[in-house]
Amino acid sequence: MTENRDWRGFAFLAPALALFGVFVFYPAFYIFYAALFQWDGVNDAAYIGLENFLTIFNDDKAFWLSMRNAAYWAPLTIIPQMILGFLIAFLLELRVPFVNIFRAVFYVPAIVSPVVVGIVWQRIYNPFGGFLSDVGQASGFKWLIYPYLADTDTAIFAVILVNVWQWMGFSMLMYIAGMKGISRDILEAARLDGISLRQIAIHLAWPMLRHVHLTLVLLGVIGTLQTFPLIYIMTKGGPNHATEMLPNYIFQQGFILQNMGYASALSVVLLLLSLSLSIFQVKVLGARFSFGGKS
Amino acid sequence: MIEATPAARRLAKWFLFALALVWLVPLAIMLSVAFTPPHIRISRFGGLMMKDVSIDNFAIVFNDAPILVHLLNSLVITCTSVLFVVLFGAMAAYAFARLRIPGKNVWFFLLITTLMLPVPTLIVPLFMINKTLGLLDSYLGLILPYTALGLPFAIIILRSFFEALPIELEETARIDGVSPARIFWFIALPLSWPALTVVVIFQFMVSFNEFVLALVTIDTDVRKPLSLVPLIYSGQFFTQPGAMFATLTLITVPVIVVYLAMQKFMVGGLTSGAVKG
Repeated sequence: MTENRDWRGFAFLAPALALFGVFVFYPAFYIFYAALFQWDGVNDAAYIGLENFLTIFNDDKAFWLSMRNAAYWAPLTIIPQMILGFLIAFLLELRVPFVNIFRAVFYVPAIVSPVVVGIVWQRIYNPFGGFLSDVGQASGFKWLIYPYLADTDTAIFAVILVNVWQWMGFSMLMYIAGMKGISRDILEAARLDGISLRQIAIHLAWPMLRHVHLTLVLLGVIGTLQTFPLIYIMTKGGPNHATEMLPNYIFQQGFILQNMGYASALSVVLLLLSLSLSIFQVKVLGARFSFGGKS
Repeated sequence: MIEATPAARRLAKWFLFALALVWLVPLAIMLSVAFTPPHIRISRFGGLMMKDVSIDNFAIVFNDAPILVHLLNSLVITCTSVLFVVLFGAMAAYAFARLRIPGKNVWFFLLITTLMLPVPTLIVPLFMINKTLGLLDSYLGLILPYTALGLPFAIIILRSFFEALPIELEETARIDGVSPARIFWFIALPLSWPALTVVVIFQFMVSFNEFVLALVTIDTDVRKPLSLVPLIYSGQFFTQPGAMFATLTLITVPVIVVYLAMQKFMVGGLTSGAVKG
């Protein structure tokens, strides 16, 4: 290999690295700098050191609510999605009819814009003539008639349910792809030995899909920290920050309240949080991005 | 396929059927409200129970809102970013897989790290950069960030695919004096179409539905992509849920059609594009 070849290699990388530098790396460093200022994004910024961070950690109720909500959000979306997704993927292997239709029905919500999803679900939750309240009327399950999105105790769970509905199909798809990597011979042999389907699912298929579980946990945690449109459309983080998530809070602080410095400080917290969680998962749990198949 | 008793299969079938019905409720509500005649005010079950079908709501939408203009905006932004991601991503992935570059592993590690970067952390600086470069309120102000943010995923998928290609063909070409650029363009790229399909679908879906960057970048209504449309008209259609839901339907149908057309590709592509550990 000659020097010339090294240079040509860089030519291949150049467009990607240039775009990356300007629109990803530079912004990622920029927020660390902007976080040190009190700044409305238009007028001159005033240097205030770590003041923004002190405020976030000591005096900001909305921030801590967003942390609490992330702590609810991650397990309450990831676990139901994994269990349902795995169950469906497994059942679809049992030679049931309409496999393609089932797969499409469960996956379609994941490709629908979260904006659309949010507006439709607002109507479902509407206590006046919404779907749930009328089902409650008709069936006698009166607890269904309730303003779930307006109650600070229930709102976050109501939004989480929507998220589970939207993304469960993605987990299913990953498990379907993963199942294709499991040797048919092993499954056949297990069946011939008279092992029940339940046993095969729990003791054979589930452990063999470890790489899919880990990928889904990793993507689920990243997804939790990215959640924005659903919150913005359904509740705007309210009532009284009860459904606050960091991305929405960053947007509100930066673009509605014009606190660009404070929003940058919140972005730094979100960045460090997501990077450390991801690195923890990759290094400690051994999760990696695998997209089905054998890893 | 796993062998199962007929009873087990029947149970599986009915369970899936019931769950699928529940899963369809929101989309069914969207469609039924959209197709309910505009003058009908009282709705039962969120509008799921229909007495009459009409397409008048769609007429209202097409009259009052330039939906096709928004669709065009979305397509221009999305398709350009898909093109850039495929081209630049494949070039970079090829370099990582086949060419000798100083510090290759460092570059690759940096790319991977940003795969885990939530987009909302970057909205403040991206807004400022777009402002400085004069890209606010323009397509490019979205196309370039979407491309940059889509590259890591594309590079990871494509690199593992290029690495798995038999090297003999490229070696032969190289010995015959063909330049790396031509080998990439005429040999490696055409062979990588299964992985490219995954990248195209993924980047298309992500860009088409992206919301937060579009929200802060595009100010003029006629330049807004489809994902922002419900916000623009939520005031205007406040008293016309039918028109609102017709809009939602119009936003959703293209994506579903594209997905159904590519469904076969998708699962196959996911498997063949598997990342090796």
